[in-house]
Amino acid sequence: MDAIETLIPDDTGAAPALEPLAMVALDAGRMLMEAGANATSVDEIVAKFARGLGAERVDLRIGYASLAITIGIGANGITRMREVGHLAVNQRLDQELWHLAARVSRHKLTVEQTRAELTRLATQTPRHSTWVMAVAVGLACAAFGRLLKVDWAGTGPVFLAACLGQWVRRELLTRHVNVFICATVVSFLSSLLGGIGAHWAGSATITTAMIASILLLVPGVPSVNAQSDILDGHPTLGSARAVTVAVILIFVAAGLWLGQVLFAKIF
Amino acid sequence: MDFLFLLHQTVCGAIAAAGFGVLFNIPFRSLPWCAVSGALALAVRTYCLGQGWNLEAASFAAALTVGAAVQVLRARTDISQNALDVVGCIPMVPGSFAAKAILGMFALTSTSTGDASDTLITAVQYALRVTFTIGAIGTGLAIPTLLLRVRVSR
Repeated sequence: MDAIETLIPDDTGAAPALEPLAMVALDAGRMLMEAGANATSVDEIVAKFARGLGAERVDLRIGYASLAITIGIGANGITRMREVGHLAVNQRLDQELWHLAARVSRHKLTVEQTRAELTRLATQTPRHSTWVMAVAVGLACAAFGRLLKVDWAGTGPVFLAACLGQWVRRELLTRHVNVFICATVVSFLSSLLGGIGAHWAGSATITTAMIASILLLVPGVPSVNAQSDILDGHPTLGSARAVTVAVILIFVAAGLWLGQVLFAKIF
Repeated sequence: MDFLFLLHQTVCGAIAAAGFGVLFNIPFRSLPWCAVSGALALAVRTYCLGQGWNLEAASFAAALTVGAAVQVLRARTDISQNALDVVGCIPMVPGSFAAKAILGMFALTSTSTGDASDTLITAVQYALRVTFTIGAIGTGLAIPTLLLRVRVSR
């Protein structure tokens, strides 16, 4: 084991600006995590940013709702923490962050320039429009329905119900409605509409059509990230993700159950 | 093996994966890679199911294939490997089983005593299938990544 003296370098009197460096590196990690990355990716990108901006030592702790970093240059070190917001999935932002990380790691940007680039990415990274997302999700759920053996008569209603469900979900999330409540509301609405539509269309697979209409809510990315985080040596984060996935599924099932109860009352 | 059924499943897998690609804000130019990933996953899973494999084993084989293909193709695509993996395997996530399992648990509170054991067994069977299938997908995706990934030195 190293003697403690060897782990504490001599203080040279120089005090590099560790605070902005730490916060910029943490912001990059926070943004990547909120874009749906797993722990290993967050670990790698924070190290790239911190070392590219001049840090000599980097240690990161990744939690479900916060990141904590310790960076050091020479004798100086600093530890800072940053809250992580709602974990969504935004692949375009993920790509842009990795492109920026490559530039930073080649020492092409200063801390201030990097901070400005991160702000630009956070505010200007484009997203698909609401209607494009709604149509795409509708098609995806209709395809899911076919995979679950929904007949052709039930496939059209699944498409329409999922389109509307995605549109409502986007509107609710824009208004900062709790994600679990949002899951129940969308699940109820989509399953009921899918069921009613399938009934009117003469489908023989109404129950399956109702289930296919809510598959847009299945938290696929968090469930895969939960496992990869545990396998990569982040069991705390992985477990937190798994619990969140389980709770979302319960809220989704509650909405589906309400939809089925109301459907049974109507027909 | 019915070729038309295999084609149907493959096309549906491609559409589902591309649709979720849009939801994940993947640019339009990269969506074909998502579709290929989903099509590959469903083609392999359907073929394996046709050979008599159970759902969990077929899902594992499909995820392993997608994970390995993404590792090989990662230099040609501009999407993160993690996203391409996940998008391809999302059509295999047993969301309907999960819903049925939880609905079965809900039903336990309202069924008569005679039906309760059947309801419980069915719900537990669905829950176990969900757990094992998601585990199989995650493990299948993780193996190529863990074997081939080069970790950055810190």
